[in-house]
Amino acid sequence: MSPVRSIDGSRQRSDWPSHLIIWGFLLIELFPLYMMFQVSFKDNASFIANPWLPTSPATWNWGNWDFGLRLIGPYIANTVFVATTGTIGTIGFAICGAYFFARCKLPFSDALWAAFLLLMLLPGVTNIVPLFTQLKDLNLLNTLWALVIVGIASAQVFNIFVLRHFIEDLPKDLFEAAEMDGAGHLQRIWHIVIPLSAPIIGTLFILAFLAKWNEILLPLIVLRDKELFTLGVGLFYLDGEYTKQWGQVMAAYSISAIPLIIVFLFAMRFFVKGLSSGAVKG
Amino acid sequence: MAFVTLNNLVKVYPEKSGPGIRAVNGIDLEIKEREFMVLVGPSGCGKSTTLRMIAGLEDISGGAITIAGEVVNHVQPKDRDIAMVFQNYALYPHMSVYENMAFGLKLRKYPKTEIDARVREAATMLGLTDYLDRKPKALSGGQRQRVAVGRAIVRKPKVFLFDEPLSNLDAKMRVSTRAEISKLHARLDATMIYVTHDQVEAMTMGDRICVMKDGNIMQVAEPLELYNHPASMFVAGFMGSPPMNFFKGRITRSPHGLVFVEDNSKAAPFQLLLGGPLAEKAAAYADRAVVCGVRPEDAQDTATVANPGTGHTIDAVVEISEPMGPETFLHLHTGAHAFTARVRASNPFAINQKVEITFLMDRVRLFDPDTEKAL
Repeated sequence: MSPVRSIDGSRQRSDWPSHLIIWGFLLIELFPLYMMFQVSFKDNASFIANPWLPTSPATWNWGNWDFGLRLIGPYIANTVFVATTGTIGTIGFAICGAYFFARCKLPFSDALWAAFLLLMLLPGVTNIVPLFTQLKDLNLLNTLWALVIVGIASAQVFNIFVLRHFIEDLPKDLFEAAEMDGAGHLQRIWHIVIPLSAPIIGTLFILAFLAKWNEILLPLIVLRDKELFTLGVGLFYLDGEYTKQWGQVMAAYSISAIPLIIVFLFAMRFFVKGLSSGAVKG
Repeated sequence: MAFVTLNNLVKVYPEKSGPGIRAVNGIDLEIKEREFMVLVGPSGCGKSTTLRMIAGLEDISGGAITIAGEVVNHVQPKDRDIAMVFQNYALYPHMSVYENMAFGLKLRKYPKTEIDARVREAATMLGLTDYLDRKPKALSGGQRQRVAVGRAIVRKPKVFLFDEPLSNLDAKMRVSTRAEISKLHARLDATMIYVTHDQVEAMTMGDRICVMKDGNIMQVAEPLELYNHPASMFVAGFMGSPPMNFFKGRITRSPHGLVFVEDNSKAAPFQLLLGGPLAEKAAAYADRAVVCGVRPEDAQDTATVANPGTGHTIDAVVEISEPMGPETFLHLHTGAHAFTARVRASNPFAINQKVEITFLMDRVRLFDPDTEKAL
């Protein structure tokens, strides 16, 4: 391998053994994806005859994809709704909450913060039964809004935790200057916090979107009607109903992954920037 | 007419235990319309806290602030019609110079044409026209500072507040920006309150100076009044560089009149014959301890003084000589007291050389050693 340039511009010798290890892990990670993709073009007979190697594109069975698309199309629509509204709500509320903790010093805000952090220690599953009865009382069972609302609420602690420290690191003078300029709290959030925290907000946005896209436990408990199913629960039932048609199941899985891959490719730059922000203050 | 008035203004920062830290200790101050008032003092004297209370960025623990006759204690900063320039400029890094200056007007929903006219007018005034599209990080320190000033002047506020705006600039830039702000004050004809710890800035810029220490006002006066007639040893020592020299001693009577005698157990103490107004002030302190204050420029090499007079000269030994070009700072000692003289640079001085120094007696000040107040 040719020498690579490190971040500070100096030339470094590449490191064979560590690259080998990375490639090894990468292959293990990518193997299920490869299997999913290549099996999605096979009917059961060719899958059983040749499970490991892909068939030639000429013989690809696009019927699986057609079937998969029709089957999970509505699920995707539901999931897009839940994940998008949920993510926007999550990040919106989290920014406001984090701003409050970072910039507004009120009596007992420390105690509130401690109570808030305590929630992070609580495993989410322990909540399931009270959550269910609460949703029942609110007449939200078997609605997508239940997923949106619970999704927004349960993601607050983590997102506020991350954002608070980021906002605290923004220079205090900027907020005071904005206050003198006549900006209220919401305007300070809109004009100062959001533009200056864009990388971290982008990262949290992707993480929240991913989590909501892949959510399975809550929809499984809340949703009853098949037409309201989101991807997680839809694919879960798919597994049981169509076990024998491996190609169709894998095509449905592949289709469900594509929107995420697109989102991720677009947001990749933000994501990496957000994860490494704070490492070098710039 | 007082435009900004501070009445018994108090700021207490709460402590976990104890009564809290009194950062501002019940101060009274009247700032006239169109006045350039400088608050000056060492760090921790409460000057920035006072400014921030006027701005509305700090809550007031006690007392009242009025601006243009209206008590503003509970008025939001944005409704006080004031603008502030921060120490580190506090420019919005993601906005261009134009947007930075227009931000306050935009929030106040001014029409676009008005905003544009005001921003361009301020930019012309401050020489920023070529930089309007740049982001703050593409500007030098001095330019950023001007943008911060521009952001304040587009709003045409009643009062401008400056919180040590020059302290992040290099020495050369500081001198030129100092002059620019003074010019701006003359041009805008606005009330300005300026906080600094630099006494040179205070002396050169202020119409009046308010010297603060430990949350109290020590003296409010015009710059030269403050320099020539300091009310206390603190003010005398704080204003002026190098600072005023202090000599401990006593007032005694002699056949020629009242004499200041230095406290000196190591060498022969020097004596200064007091005359005129100084003698009148000293009369009440006869046979009592006092502190004698002499500014470095009022201590001259006797060889260069045309008419030294009698009883005004002392003997001293050179510790260090610092030639500055037009003058030389001589660090001297009398045995008991070290002091500085700012003498003409006509002849060189050697270390440990004995020199005779003449004090310009009409400029010498006396202080009470207990209260530290001027006699």
